[in-house]
Amino acid sequence: MAPASVAVSLSFRVVPPRPCRRRARWPRPIRASSDGSGVANGDRKVGALEGRVGDLRAVVASVPPAVAAIKKNIGLNFIAGFCLGITLLAAVARQVIIRIHERDNKGSVADLIRRGQLKSGQRGIAKPRVYDDPFNNPLVKIDEDTSTAQVFGKEYRLAPIRLTKEQQAMHQKRRSRTYQWKRPTVFLKEGDSLPPDVDPDTVRWIPVNHPFAAASTEVDEETAKQNVYQKDGVPSRVKAEHEALQTRLEASNNVNKFSSSQRNMQLSDRQLRLSSNESSGSRQNSLSGTVKNQNGQPTLESEKRSPDNNSQSKSLEEQ
Amino acid sequence: MAFAPRLLLPSRCPPPASSPARHGGRTAPELSGPTPRVVVVTSGKGGVGKTTTTANLAASLARLSLSAVAVDADAGLRNLDLLLGLENRVHLTAADVLAGDCRLDQALVRHRALHDLQLLCLSKPRSKLPLAFGSKTLTWVADALRRAANPPAFILIDCPAGVDAGFVTAIAPAEEAVLVTTPDITALRDADRVAGLLECDGIKDIKIIVNRVRPDLVKGEDMMSALDVQEMLGLPLLGVVPEDAEVIRSTNRGVPLVLNDPPTPAGLALEQATWRLVERDAMTAVMVEEQERPKKKAGFFSFFGG
Ligand SMILES: Nc1ncnc2c1ncn2[C@@H]1O[C@H](COP(=O)(O)OP(=O)(O)OP(=O)(O)O)[C@@H](O)[C@H]1O
Ligand SMILES: [Mg+2]
Repeated sequence: MAPASVAVSLSFRVVPPRPCRRRARWPRPIRASSDGSGVANGDRKVGALEGRVGDLRAVVASVPPAVAAIKKNIGLNFIAGFCLGITLLAAVARQVIIRIHERDNKGSVADLIRRGQLKSGQRGIAKPRVYDDPFNNPLVKIDEDTSTAQVFGKEYRLAPIRLTKEQQAMHQKRRSRTYQWKRPTVFLKEGDSLPPDVDPDTVRWIPVNHPFAAASTEVDEETAKQNVYQKDGVPSRVKAEHEALQTRLEASNNVNKFSSSQRNMQLSDRQLRLSSNESSGSRQNSLSGTVKNQNGQPTLESEKRSPDNNSQSKSLEEQ
Repeated sequence: MAFAPRLLLPSRCPPPASSPARHGGRTAPELSGPTPRVVVVTSGKGGVGKTTTTANLAASLARLSLSAVAVDADAGLRNLDLLLGLENRVHLTAADVLAGDCRLDQALVRHRALHDLQLLCLSKPRSKLPLAFGSKTLTWVADALRRAANPPAFILIDCPAGVDAGFVTAIAPAEEAVLVTTPDITALRDADRVAGLLECDGIKDIKIIVNRVRPDLVKGEDMMSALDVQEMLGLPLLGVVPEDAEVIRSTNRGVPLVLNDPPTPAGLALEQATWRLVERDAMTAVMVEEQERPKKKAGFFSFFGG
């Protein structure tokens, strides 16, 4: 924006005076630039030329007011344009300074942090900062003698808090009379029946479309609580899924073993040798798996290796 | 109206003004009370600045090296992650912890720049929390964090608007409350109701933050002052935060306002509120706009001074 405005100001300053001066001495450029028919009539009578210039003036007068203004006060315009240019340059310089200033401070960091694009340690706010006392710093000055405070260069009067302990207690009493409430501890879906052991006062009825109203709960309360309290190891559901997969894998391995051995019997000797090598390899794998399971620590090994959910399932796929 | 000194006791006087350029304030507030302190930020009315307050209190605490876990309990319309700039990093939530898909420590999103700040979201926007024990989720979470190897100093819970199931869940583990309100009667009535409910639930330590105050309007008596608000609610003031366009900018940038350098009026007010929160302190005076002495010079030169 700023450079564009500079360009505009320059064109105002430099371009307009030129045709004005030339118009008296060299009519050609005017004709060439203004009127096509002027070229054809070029070297005819001077009187006609005068008429042409008059026409041209009329044309110029009819075009936008800026041009007209320039035409009228040419002498002043140069000075005015010059001043305008200087002003705009100053404005641009100020803008540039502000931009640089902002960039140094926070602007670029903000952009990078936005949408989580900043990966390499968000510089702007990662730099160690001396903690200013928010009550006593260059921007906040509290003068207790005069009960005034100066904040961001503005003066404020300090009005002391009037609330007394008694008033506070009175308000509390008022509220306890007005609002009698017991925090619900049981959430039930609207339309469900009240379980026998539940106090109706402690129930909060939740509409079906509420974010809390999950359709079905896969875990019971005790498991959920244990899940929250679990400090290390594999999360329970991941572990359960892992175990289920492991069992299924074993089962399928057994089936493979069985079918391959069946097949082996029907193969020729050479094929038998080859395939027996392969199957013994896979058998070894499956055996090592079973041994692990039989140790009573079916997932502990893999747990230690990959406590993370994703890598866990990956390692399963690899097996 | 925007700020007030934490305490106006002579003992807390700033040190001798021998070096006006260097401000000899303390570098950190003194932590009061056993940790972790579980604080719910609530309001009743929506859109008054609960999430803004939570994000800034948490960031400010973390910058003071007081570890904080910010919990977004707004299951339906969460946006604390946005204000902290962590929206791309929330993959696991408390709902996943309950289901056994991950451990609690895996669901905590640690801020990359503020290492003492962690975020926990209650659930993904479209997933639902189990109804049967959903209300107990945060109680378990707070308890588990308390028992963790490195328990946080603060657990800040961003409460959803209203007083329904989300509110019930959010306040369940809290011991203290920050009640955010704007200086208008609709917000105040809701705030009074919420204060009543909190007191019924045994949360007696309730402090108010008056948000979006415009000193010019207060001066013209077109807006209630923080003192008026306090008179109506009868609760101690934790802070008075002015209306500040920087709040929106910081929201869009995903960087809490209190990290702005140079500070902004609202950021500074929230930082002051953090210090009071840490020290279990309240305001003893509020600032009232009075005579307007043009101080433009200082502002102009501070621009050049950097
Ligand atoms: N001091 C302030 N000055 C200017 N704008 C503010 C201020 N505080 C909050 N806002 C704006 O008000 C809007 C609501 O704020 P915020 O999301 O924090 O409210 P909320 O109470 O969490 O809302 P909800 O009830 O929807 O959760 C935001 O757009 C925020 O930028
Ligand atoms: Mg919110």
